[in-house]
Order: sequence, then C-alpha cells, then structure tokens
Amino acid sequence: MRRVGLWLTLFVLLAACGGGGGGSQTSGTPKHGGTATVALESELRTLDPMDSSLLVEREVFYNIYDSLFTIDPSLTIKSGLVKQWDTSDPLNYKFTLQSGVKYQDGTPFNGASVKANIERYKTGATSRRKSDLASVKTVEVTDDTHVIFHLSKPNATLLATLVDRAGMMLSIDAVTKGGKDFSLTPVGAGSGPFAFVEWKRNDHLTLKKNPDYWKAGLPYLDGVTYRAIPDVNAILAALKTGDVDIARVIAPKDVASLKADSNFIYKDTPAIGFSGFELNAGAPPFNDPAKRQAVAMAIDRYSILKNINFNIGVVAYGPIPPSSWAFDASEKIFDHADPAKAKATATGFSFTFKTTSDPVNQQLAQLLQSELAAAGITMQIQTEEFATYQQECAAHKFEACGVNWSGRIDPDGNMYAWWHTGGDFNDSMYSNAQVDAWLEDARTSADQAKRKQDYISAQKQIVQDAPYVFTNFGVSAQISNTKIHGFTLYPDLMIRMAEVWKG
Amino acid sequence: MTTYVLRRVVLMLPVAFLVTVGVFMLIHLSPGDPALIVLGEDRSPQAIAQVHAELGLDKPLYAQYLIWVNRIVHGDWGRSITTDEPVASAITERLPATLELGIAALLWSLLVAIPLGTIAAVRRGSVVDRLATGITVAGVSVPNFFIGIVLIFVLSVSARIFPFGGYVPFTQDPLESLRHVALPAIALGTAGTAINMRFTRSSMIEVLNNDYIRTARAKGASWRRVVFIHALKNALIPVVTIVGLQIGGIIEGAVVTETVFTWPGVGRLAVESIFNRDYTVVQGVVLVAAFSYMLANLLVDLVYGWLDPRISYA
Repeated sequence: MRRVGLWLTLFVLLAACGGGGGGSQTSGTPKHGGTATVALESELRTLDPMDSSLLVEREVFYNIYDSLFTIDPSLTIKSGLVKQWDTSDPLNYKFTLQSGVKYQDGTPFNGASVKANIERYKTGATSRRKSDLASVKTVEVTDDTHVIFHLSKPNATLLATLVDRAGMMLSIDAVTKGGKDFSLTPVGAGSGPFAFVEWKRNDHLTLKKNPDYWKAGLPYLDGVTYRAIPDVNAILAALKTGDVDIARVIAPKDVASLKADSNFIYKDTPAIGFSGFELNAGAPPFNDPAKRQAVAMAIDRYSILKNINFNIGVVAYGPIPPSSWAFDASEKIFDHADPAKAKATATGFSFTFKTTSDPVNQQLAQLLQSELAAAGITMQIQTEEFATYQQECAAHKFEACGVNWSGRIDPDGNMYAWWHTGGDFNDSMYSNAQVDAWLEDARTSADQAKRKQDYISAQKQIVQDAPYVFTNFGVSAQISNTKIHGFTLYPDLMIRMAEVWKG
Repeated sequence: MTTYVLRRVVLMLPVAFLVTVGVFMLIHLSPGDPALIVLGEDRSPQAIAQVHAELGLDKPLYAQYLIWVNRIVHGDWGRSITTDEPVASAITERLPATLELGIAALLWSLLVAIPLGTIAAVRRGSVVDRLATGITVAGVSVPNFFIGIVLIFVLSVSARIFPFGGYVPFTQDPLESLRHVALPAIALGTAGTAINMRFTRSSMIEVLNNDYIRTARAKGASWRRVVFIHALKNALIPVVTIVGLQIGGIIEGAVVTETVFTWPGVGRLAVESIFNRDYTVVQGVVLVAAFSYMLANLLVDLVYGWLDPRISYA
C-alpha cells in the first residue's frame, strides 16, 4: 500500500511538472488478453476515413487502419505502411512499402492498393479528403512494394497529411463488398491491430484483436470497446463505476481529485491544438488593429489557465505549440495582462463576444469581461446554441468569437487555413501579404530550418496583428484506471491501443 | 366500432401533415448549417457546396419538403444527414430502448400511484394521505433530470448498486436489463407517479361518495370489496386518460432522461438530431412521435368503453 502511495506521489509530481514529451508507462511484462473500454466524448458518424471529420473517428481509425506514415510522441514522422521514403525530388516522392502485409479480409496490401486508396480519396463523391490530397497529381505503381507520388506542386506537409486519414489504407475489396453501408460496417477493411466487429450507435462500438497483425506480438488486448458518453461529468462517473477503463477528457475541475485517487492514473503532455478567440478584422470595431491589440494586452492568460483550466495545459503565445519542431520559446509578445498599456493603445469601445452555453465557455466569457473592463473595454456576452454560433462565426457575422483548434501535426495545419488571405478558417478576414508569402514559402520549401524561420516570422506578425487572441494550449492526457499499462501519450490526442495491456 | 377506428386513423393523416410542415418550417428557419456540422474542422467553401448538393439543401424549401413527402409516401424515410444511417433503421433500432424505459417508468408510476392514491382517498386526512400528498408535490416539482443526477450520484457512483447508463435489451438478459433500466425509469416515472396518484385519489373520493357505493355497502359487501371491485374500476377512468397521454408522451418525456442516462433511445436521437440540424432524422422522429401520441389517444378512447360499458362508439 505504501509503495502504491509512493508511486502515486511520483506520478503526481511528474504530472505537475508538465509531463514532458509524452512517453510510455511500462510496469512489468506486458500480458496478453482482456478487453478495455474507452470513453469517446461524442458519437462517431462514420467508420470510413474518406468521409470522416471528427476527432473521435480518427481515434478509432488509428486502431483499425494503418497509415502510410506514423508519428512518435515528439511528432517526428516515422515509417508506417511506407517503410522507406525518398523526398529529395520535391515533385516525385518515392515510397518503399512494407512487404507481406495483409488486410484483415486476407487481401494483400501493395502498390496497387495504395494507388486505389489515394484515387478513392481524391475522387469519391462524398470524400472530405480532396483538399488534403490536392497536391497529389497521380500515384505511379512501380511494383508491389514501390510507388511514386507525383505532385503538381511541392508540398512539404504531405508526409504529415499521410499520417492522418488521407494516408489510411483500406482493403478496396472490403469497401466494394460493404457498398452503401461500408461506413457503418467496415468488416475486414483495415490492416491495423484491431478489426471491426459491431457498431451499435449511441451504445457501443466493438473491435477485436487482429491475430495476423503484421507487427509481431501486437496487440496485447483481445478487444477494445468504445462507448460514446457526450458529457464530461458522465465520463468521470463511468470511470469511477468501472464502466470505462480509459477516457481522453474529463472536466479540468476534476483532474486534481482524480490525480489524488490511487485507483486512477492521470498524466498529460501539451497537445497540438490552441485555444483563444477570433477578432473580426473585417468589420468595426476590430478593423482597427489598435483595438485588437488592446484586447490582446488586457486579458490575463495566466488567470484563464488557473481559473478556467485549473492549470491543465500551458499559456499560449501563438499558434505553434511547444511540442512542435517550429516552436519559438522566445516569442512572448503578449504575456502578462497589462491594462495600463492596453488603455494607452485603445480604450472606451465596446464589442460582443459570441460563445456557446457550455458552462466552461460561460465562465471564460465572464472572466474575459471583467479583465477587459479593467482596461476600459466593454465586452457583451452573446450566448448561442452551437449550430447557430458555428454558422455565424464561419460567415464572419461576429465581432469576437471563441473558437478553438484541435491542431495538426505540421505547423502548416495550425496556420495556413487560419490566417492566409481567404483561408478556409480565416473567419477574422485577416489579410497580410507578407504573412501569405511566409506561409506559402513554408508550405513548398523542403528545408526544415527555412520552414521553421518562415513560421516564426509569420507567427510574430500574426500575434502582433491580433486577428486571434491566443490564451492557452490544451493537453493530451492518459486518464485511466490502474489496470491499464503500456499507454503512450501522443500530443495529437489519439489513443493508440496496439501496445496497451491490462494487468 | 371498426368504422370508428378507421375514421380516427384516417383523421390522423391531416394532423401528421400539419405537424411535419410545422416542424419542417421551424427547423429550416432556425440558423445553423448541417454542412458545417458534418464537416467540422474540414470545412472549406468547396466542401460546403459539395455537401449542400449531396443533401439537396441547394433546392428551394418547398421542393425539399415535397421530395421528403414523396419519399415517405413510398416508404423511404431517407438517410441521416450527419451519419448517413437510414432514418427508419435509426428509429427502429432505438425504439425498443425507449419503449422499455417508457413501460418501466409507467409501471413504476402505476404500481406506486394506484395503491397510494387509493389508500390516501380511503384514509382522507390521515398521516398516509398527508405523506403521500407531500411526496407527490415534491415528485411533480423536482425536474426529472435532477432526480436522475441525484440517483446516479447516490445509487450508482457512491453505493454502486446500479450501473451507470448503458442499455441491455430485455430479450438478451432480463435481469441485467432491469438493473440498467431501474434508475432512468424511476427518474422518468416519478413525475407521472405524482400526477397519477393525485388523479386516483381525487377520482376515488368522488366515486366513494356515489349512491351505488352506499347501496353496495348496505347490501353487505365488505369495505375491501367495495373499494377494490366497485369503486376502483370507475375511479380509474380519469387516470386512464392521463396515463394515455403519458404513453403518447413517452418519446417526449424520454428526451431529457435519455440524455442524462446516455440511454440509446429515440429521445436522445431527437436531441442530437436537432442540435446537429439533421433535418431528415428530426422529421422522422417527429412523425413517429405524432403518430404514437394519436394512437395512444385512440387507445384511451377504446379503453373507456371497456371500463364503462355505457360509453359506446357503435
């Protein structure tokens, strides 16, 4: 008992120190067998990577399907179904594939399968992967284990894109057999550690071990069950009653008590997404840069981190998270709240902040309101139901709007769509020719050092211009009972179950 | 009798039409775009246009409605906008869960309400009567989501007597099924218990004052026989009305309870579909709810005739 207490204390201390760069928790020899139940914070819509757009879907996919590339906990690109790669020619990427890999339905994974999958993603009527793969012109199959991706323009982010859904390989046989209902019952479609068994929407999704998984000895578990529990308090209750073993999120207010409970494990590492709010640079009052800067100066990020997030996560100074290779630790343009400086920059104006009725969002809005009041800025809170708020923010019908981003592995995914002129997520209507040039250069340049410099320059300019006020980076966490071992924390929030075992 | 039932069923059609037109207008008038919900962080102008075209949302509203009606008439309920699941199977898959919860809640409310209401009426002014009245006032006043949260906290999280959420079909494991349905049924049924008990009590008091009760007593029938055989059957007529409305309202009542208990029923489906602007599913659920309400009313009218032979529909 004392020993358990000591280990727990160590855990809490480690977690309190910020967690570091992920890594796995190993204690003892991995055991085979058993099943684990994982809570998902919302129900899935599809099991087909082609039409997926939800984080929870990606999480399940990573356990059924294999991607061409993978990442390690430091976000470095690693080999997946692609064993070796040569990207020295920016328009022709040469990939060597793993040999002997079979999909769960027994059909082989090979060059032809890669080509068929990429073409399906590029041309499928309901495909949401078209923009991911826009730079890929064609895939040429040299032989069973070699393919060449011909690009229409250089794209330094392609390998990172192929880690995610656009790079997930499916048995085309299984897709054809599944027909119209394939997205609901993808039997035998993946080559990953677990195979689809049954999906009873709003109740459970069951996967079983893939006995022929190409990574020898894996997975350890006989199966994984997912349960959608769309309420963080209910997730905590389900953890405590033992109905689920693992969860990705609980309410920040409950983290301290869970850490103190010896029946549970809580560890976290900074994630790749950012939190904050958009200011609409295309309309008054925030078409005046001074007013945007005044807001960015007046808010207290440390108070938000402490009072809203219960110190879970870290303060954000820009869109590139500490886990990224492009992170710039020296950039702290807007740090501690400075109401006096804000007042000197712009004061005496008022604006409306759009948010949802979620209690945490409401508390955040009230905190922002009081902080801005100290700088003579009046903020009105407008609470809207999610679908309404989402549409109005996307349609630029707002002055300020709280929107967070789940994050992408490559910094391009955290910046280009948001602040490039006319970008898909540029709700703030921000436009700066120099920023556009940096972002484009970083997207096409093969030299990582040069890319990093581009992102650092672009980030400085964006933060300074304040079309978005960054408040904090969230965390990727292991939240489980103590029976769960071999859990590796990845900053991309995905829970990969292949190496997890139950003791 | 058959003509009466047929006439009633035919009359349901215009009502269903008006309900669906109303709901169609309401949900389309409310802001929000299903394409944005579907696409989430993958939204781009091209993708949004693609989704609009896939779903026919680029057509005028009346055309969208007519397309939907045409499909329904041909037995095609369409597919969910957000999940691509066929609407008919989305509803029929969840219906057993909702029915089990609804029936369990109704049984809970009747098993408690009728005996308690009868005792309260017979022993008017007694401690039992006052206690029952007090409990019912509390039962009606406390919202069912709050009762649900308290039950979860006390009996599931703390005492661990009942599991939290999750649904086990009755046909699969009856005992486990009852364990799972207990808490949501109590949460959902408590307000009904209170109402049913009040109705039983007041109706029973009224019936007990009738001449025929005095006659029955005078003829030497025992008090127990008078109350349970002579009085209760007649006293239950208003209760049947209210229970009928409760049956029709199972889907409506389950909306909140199913959300609190993550119960995979039609109520939760309705809530999620409304939040996701899943027009086809909302329309389907509303149609089912409207018909179940109307059917329940018809059933009530037929049960009247059984309870009181003087009521005839011939």
